[in-house]
Amino acid sequence: MIDSSPDSYPMVNSGSQESTCSAHSAIERELIQLFDGLRAPLLRYLYGFPLAPHDAEDVIQESFLSLFQHLHRGTRVASPRNWLFRAVHNSALKRRLRARRDMEGAASLGSAENSLVDSALNPEDQLAFNRTRERLRAVVRALPEQHRWCLYLRAEGLRYREIGEILNMSLGAVCNCLQRSLALVTRAAER
Amino acid sequence: MAIDGELPAREVERAESHLATCWACRARKQEVEAAIAEFMRFQRSSFQDRIPSPDGPRALLKAQLHELMAPGSGPRLLRFFGPRLGWVALLASLLVAAVGPFIWHELAPKYPAESAVVTVPNPAFTPGATVLLSQPDVCSEPMAKNKTVPSALQQRVFEEYGIRTAEPDAYEVDYLITPALGGADDIRNLWTESNRVALWNAQVKDALEDRLRNMVCAGQLDLHVAQREIAGNWIEAYKKYFHTDRPLTDVR
Repeated sequence: MIDSSPDSYPMVNSGSQESTCSAHSAIERELIQLFDGLRAPLLRYLYGFPLAPHDAEDVIQESFLSLFQHLHRGTRVASPRNWLFRAVHNSALKRRLRARRDMEGAASLGSAENSLVDSALNPEDQLAFNRTRERLRAVVRALPEQHRWCLYLRAEGLRYREIGEILNMSLGAVCNCLQRSLALVTRAAER
Repeated sequence: MAIDGELPAREVERAESHLATCWACRARKQEVEAAIAEFMRFQRSSFQDRIPSPDGPRALLKAQLHELMAPGSGPRLLRFFGPRLGWVALLASLLVAAVGPFIWHELAPKYPAESAVVTVPNPAFTPGATVLLSQPDVCSEPMAKNKTVPSALQQRVFEEYGIRTAEPDAYEVDYLITPALGGADDIRNLWTESNRVALWNAQVKDALEDRLRNMVCAGQLDLHVAQREIAGNWIEAYKKYFHTDRPLTDVR
C-alpha cells in the first residue's frame, strides 16, 4: 500500500560516478516499488477515463519514466502518487486529443463490464447484482467526464484537495462534482 | 463531505452530534454509504479482471530505466569528437540528412515500384490493439466488420510499411483484429493487406474472423483468446480453427 503522506526524495548527487550509480539504483528501486503498488490503481483510473488498455499501459510507462527524469534532475516530489495520477491524467488527455484528430471523431470505447458471475451469490442475488450494475453503468456513462474523473479518483483513495490538484479544480468544485455524482449513484443503487 | 471524511475535526463533531438525534439524516447517511459500497463493487468488478499481469510492463520499465541510466546515454557523436568538433559533425550530418534524399532522388536510377506481397503484418508496426469490450458487447449487436479507415490514417499506414509508389489497388488497409472482435481503430491494429495473394488472402482472413466471432458468441472461445490468436499469426490461427493446412473453399 502506497502511503499518501508526503515523500521526499534526496537530491541526486552530481559527485562521483559511484555515488551517482548508487543514487540511480535507489531511485530505480523506489520507482519499481511504486510501480508495483500503483499500476493497478492507475490502470483502473485510465480504463474509466476511458482509455484503451494498450494506451493505458503506454501512458503509465511514459509517466514513470518522466518521474524518473524529474528525480534524476533533483526535483523534489512531495507525493509521488499524486504526481503520477496527475501525469497519467494529462497524458491521457493528450492521447485522446491526438486519437480524435487521427480518427476524425472519437469512437466509443464501449463498456468495460462483463457478465461476471459471483459464486458467493445465489441466482436471485446474482440477478439483482447484475441489474444494479447495469443501472450504475448507465449512470456513470451519462456523467460529465469531469464528474466521472472525480468519482474514479476518489475510488482510488485520493482526497478532495488531491483530486483538485490533479484535475486543476477548486476544492468546492470537487465537492460539488462528487456530491452530484454520489446522489445519482445513490439513486441508481437504491432502485 | 462528512461521510467522505473531508470535514475539519470541529465540523465532524457537530455532524456526529446531529446524526445522533436525526433519524432521517442517519438513514440518508446509510444510503449514501451503501451506494459507495455498490459503486466500489461495480468499479472493481468492471476493471479488475481486465488488468493484465504486471510482469511484462515491469520488465519493460526496468529495461527503459537501465537505458536511461546507462553511462554516456547522451548523444554518442558529441562524446566521440569532443564538444566543439562534435557540434560541427552533428550539423554536417543534419545537412546531409536534409539535402541527401533530394540529391539521391535526382541521381538514382529509376526502377518501377513493385508491389510486394504481404500476407501477415509486421509485428513491430502492427502488434494489434483492442478496445475495452466484453463478450456481451461484441455479440449483442451485429457490428460492421470492415469499418472505413479514414484516409489520413490509411496514408500513415502505407508510409509505415514503406509503400509509396506501388499501384494503388495492390493493397488495402485492413484491421488485424477485426472490430467485430473488439479490434481498435488504432494504427497499431492496421496493416497493408496485399490484394495480389492467391492463397492466404483477405477472403480467407474474413472467414477466420467469422469463425472466431461465432465461437466467441457461442461461448466456445474466450474473446481475449480469439484476439490473441488472430493477432499472433492469423494464418496459423486459420489452420488451427479450420483443422486444415490450406484454405478451405467452403468456409462455413
